[in-house]
Amino acid sequence: MVLKKATPSTSLCTVLDPRGQPTLVVKPLPLAPRLDTLEGKTLYVVDVGFGGGWEFLEEAVDWFSRHMPGVKTVLQHKKGNMFVDEPEMWSELKQNADAVIFGVGG
Amino acid sequence: MASARFAEFAAQDAQNHGMKLRFTHPPYPLVGRPREVLRKYVEGNDPVSGRPLMPQVVDALIRPLTEDEKHPKAARGKPRPRLLQPDTEENLHRLFLENGWTDGAPIVLPTEERVAHMLTGTAADPNQVVGQMTVTIHQERLEYTVEKVAVNAVMVGAGPEHLPVILALAASQETSMPSSTTSFGRMAFVNGPIREEIGMNSGLGALSPFNHANTVIGRAWTMMTLNLGDARLNETFMGSTGNNMNYNNMMFAENEERSVWEPFHVRKGFRKEESTVSIFQGWSAINSMGAAGCCRPAQEEMLIMMQAFPCLRGALTLVMDPLVSKHLKEQGFDTPEKLSRYLCENFTMTAGQFWGSDVVYSLVEPGARNGIEPYASWLKLPKDARIAPYTSPDNINMVVVGGETQALWLTTDMWHVKTVSIDPWRPKSGVYKEDEKAARRRQARQKRHAAALTASGYDI
Repeated sequence: MVLKKATPSTSLCTVLDPRGQPTLVVKPLPLAPRLDTLEGKTLYVVDVGFGGGWEFLEEAVDWFSRHMPGVKTVLQHKKGNMFVDEPEMWSELKQNADAVIFGVGG
Repeated sequence: MASARFAEFAAQDAQNHGMKLRFTHPPYPLVGRPREVLRKYVEGNDPVSGRPLMPQVVDALIRPLTEDEKHPKAARGKPRPRLLQPDTEENLHRLFLENGWTDGAPIVLPTEERVAHMLTGTAADPNQVVGQMTVTIHQERLEYTVEKVAVNAVMVGAGPEHLPVILALAASQETSMPSSTTSFGRMAFVNGPIREEIGMNSGLGALSPFNHANTVIGRAWTMMTLNLGDARLNETFMGSTGNNMNYNNMMFAENEERSVWEPFHVRKGFRKEESTVSIFQGWSAINSMGAAGCCRPAQEEMLIMMQAFPCLRGALTLVMDPLVSKHLKEQGFDTPEKLSRYLCENFTMTAGQFWGSDVVYSLVEPGARNGIEPYASWLKLPKDARIAPYTSPDNINMVVVGGETQALWLTTDMWHVKTVSIDPWRPKSGVYKEDEKAARRRQARQKRHAAALTASGYDI
């Protein structure tokens, strides 16, 4: 038995786009102004809670103590887990911190 | 900071939010790495930029902002036209496949004619907005109408009779693949009269690919997740291994007729004559090998199987053959709630086993540290102290499905997310009038199955 090779149809076909519509709800936000120097400043280092992040950030804080002793570091956990927003944390950071490092994502 | 494996994801996420965040990326993973390795990471380079890691962090904090960083723009998606550019069928199939608009299996192209036919399965206006979805909590949600849902239903080979269930899933605004590096799975099942009306399988092999309705409804949920929930590999979806439940989402119908208990949806407050779909989320299912009745009853076998799960949310769902529910009733569990209470009260694990799970520790320990009970007390216990981590019987659910060829069950770590009504999405006539030949064939199958059960002598 000899099979004929299938010949694709050349006629045009119109189909609907299967994707949802963007909702355009995102509001762009500028970054916080940068500091001129970290010397004499208070740097908060916030662990968001992914495994190994706390231990890594302890080492990062230690790096500051060895290489930039003029920077005061405050290492702390995020109170809730990494998926929960915490308005009170942002207020505290705005009040007490000159700069913040968040980590470690993923 | 975000670890290097997530550099692309983090950049995309920041861009979607209109923020030019300054990321530094240590190597991945961090969890479980010895302290000396973490110190080397700190002293070493960012593997993405190639620059020394900590000096790059300092630079990010003091380098003046660029104009783009001061006045960012969100990478907003443009509105998508209803129709794609006309093309040959072959090219359109390739377009859908290459753009990730399919699960990789063949699809039916959603022509205007096919979508219009699909829409006869509901009384809802094609332009009615059904909801919004995203697979990841930090991504812009996409909005979809009844017509968009119908497009995805056509693609998976569904018929108009399946559309009300698919619309109910869409209206839940739950995707079938919530993005997590842990690779979530989903389960969904249907209760009420629509099960029979559209020919769903609740009996023999209901979770295997033998039934058109179960197959296409389960697949439609994932197709909607890809296209309406914006699931894109390595951009919005980061499940490390993935989860093969994602293909069909364990879609079935509850075997209400052969269960000794009230139907699931009635236990959740719906009327028996309402049709619903119930949605669950978790990761895993373990097939029991049964309990040897002479040595160990089913409820004790369940306690053994539960040891396999980390008990992140204190939730469990048992998917059991009607024979199991019958045996359990004979053991005194005349309601599922009694079994839930038994399992909560009798299951224990050590505190060390509980806190030793990375996911449990990452997600539960912050609350424990802040005094949330009972976790705060558990955190102070020695590793060998025993705890009863399933604290709420309401979080342990049972559903009955299967063909009574073996008294087995699946133990899953699924939690009940929600149950939604299907009835608002039905056509005016109540249900789409399906092909009569198919209905006759199905009725004949059901009659043969009922006769086999009666002949087995093991009737309810």
